Amino acid sequence: MTTEDAAVDDGGRKHPQVHFDRHTPDYRDRFEDITHELHGRCPIAWTETHGGHWVASGNREVFELARSAEFLSNDHDVKGERRGYKGISIPPPPRAREAQGGFLEMDPPDQRHYRQTLNPYLSPAAIQRWIPFVDEVVRACIDEKIESGHIDFVDDLANIVPAVLTLAMMGIPVERWTIYNEPAHASVYTPPNSPDMQRVLDLSRKMGMDLMAQLAEIRKNPRPGLVDALVRADINGRNPDDGELLGVCALLIGGGFDTTTALTAHSLEWLSQHPEERSRLSRERKTLLDSATEEFLRFYTPAPGDGRTITADCEIAGTEFKEGERLWLSWAMANRDPSVFPDPDRIDMERKGNRHSSFGLGIHRCIGSNVARTVFKRMVTAVLDRMPDYECDPEGAVHYETIGVIQGMRHLPATFTPGERLGPGLDETLAELQKVCDEQRLAEPVTVRKSTARIDT
Amino acid sequence: MKVRVDPERCQGHTLCAMRAPDTFELSEIDGHSSVVAEEVPADQEADVREAVLSCPERAISLIS
Repeated sequence: MTTEDAAVDDGGRKHPQVHFDRHTPDYRDRFEDITHELHGRCPIAWTETHGGHWVASGNREVFELARSAEFLSNDHDVKGERRGYKGISIPPPPRAREAQGGFLEMDPPDQRHYRQTLNPYLSPAAIQRWIPFVDEVVRACIDEKIESGHIDFVDDLANIVPAVLTLAMMGIPVERWTIYNEPAHASVYTPPNSPDMQRVLDLSRKMGMDLMAQLAEIRKNPRPGLVDALVRADINGRNPDDGELLGVCALLIGGGFDTTTALTAHSLEWLSQHPEERSRLSRERKTLLDSATEEFLRFYTPAPGDGRTITADCEIAGTEFKEGERLWLSWAMANRDPSVFPDPDRIDMERKGNRHSSFGLGIHRCIGSNVARTVFKRMVTAVLDRMPDYECDPEGAVHYETIGVIQGMRHLPATFTPGERLGPGLDETLAELQKVCDEQRLAEPVTVRKSTARIDT
Repeated sequence: MKVRVDPERCQGHTLCAMRAPDTFELSEIDGHSSVVAEEVPADQEADVREAVLSCPERAISLIS
């Protein structure tokens, strides 16, 4: 990254200028250096990359911008019916694959109606009820590997649990998790010009078709869950069609799968590299697990940022913006601001005042945040209990090459002292859990069913 | 010491209830926070101060 004496335009308003490209291995390799350079020189800067956009990295600046809701739009106007805004991805997806990413790419009032529709399924009280279900999936995943002494924390655990829970909450049969798992991850880590892209597109299409079939089925034969809420929803006076709901379902899957996987994998890797911290976390989990979770969220920020479009000429945090300009809000870089997080590049499991923005800020705060925290804590707790001496293999760990979209991992193999199985394997467990889910109607909203899931093991 | 949550700013991050569960209660519907009572008992003051600093939206205010 260099600060350039670029040709000034628009009266020199688009300054300071930097060369900033988050979709490069360089950004991943030098993330901390780049972050602190930007903090020091230009916490809001203009870059000509990806069509030209602002990038906000300072904590104060990101906070003020995220709060300036009247000047920022998430809208993705695919058909060009409104103001042609391009949503939260910078650069936007290619024309052929453009689709509105659910309510994350909408503004109020529609956005608010979607949130109100789904809140009762995703609140802290709603998620608490699922804990026995989550624990059972975790148990089965670990049981598949516990006697061998080998596990891949991504393939064998962190990919599976979020996928199964998300499908269960949606009201989709959980055994179908394999149809959703691969495209959900591969579509994030595959570079656009990769030879593997066609395979990924095929898998994504199959996933889309299955989603459409599930939507149609649940419209016809209702069963409880997020999809049921969506097909019956009143969104500002209209009932959305399946095309729109497909985008919402893709958001729930895209938001729910890869991010939780990323957080879990990175954290388990770090704990393996710091065995004393790992022992301490295990011993003191009652007082430490909550703050450690927030610290891993801050440090790894799995969803590193989001794009916005400026809706009117305005001045925010000392910068003049013009209508239509694009802005990247970097949660990840704001999370490393030393003015808010002393010694920001160090993981401190007891960190105080940890007001990180890893779930975003403002009205688009991640609606799955309670799911993420709960699933993460249940997976990590089980690993600490059942394989406390695990050692990750640095040669086998595969991080995403670029972290512009999700700060993720593909593989995290580890070895450990073998232990004993506690119950049936994954397939049998999922069949049992599907029955429990159906019988107890676990996927009802918390306003309908308050009780915790009962899993008899 | 009195504490208040601004309902316009709260977005349901839930960090306050993690820090000071006796002071902040969360809506069962959307996880947004409100105070159990405005007046903070002395033995909860430290936790409540920490909760104020932990809110990403800076939605909590103290009045001594």
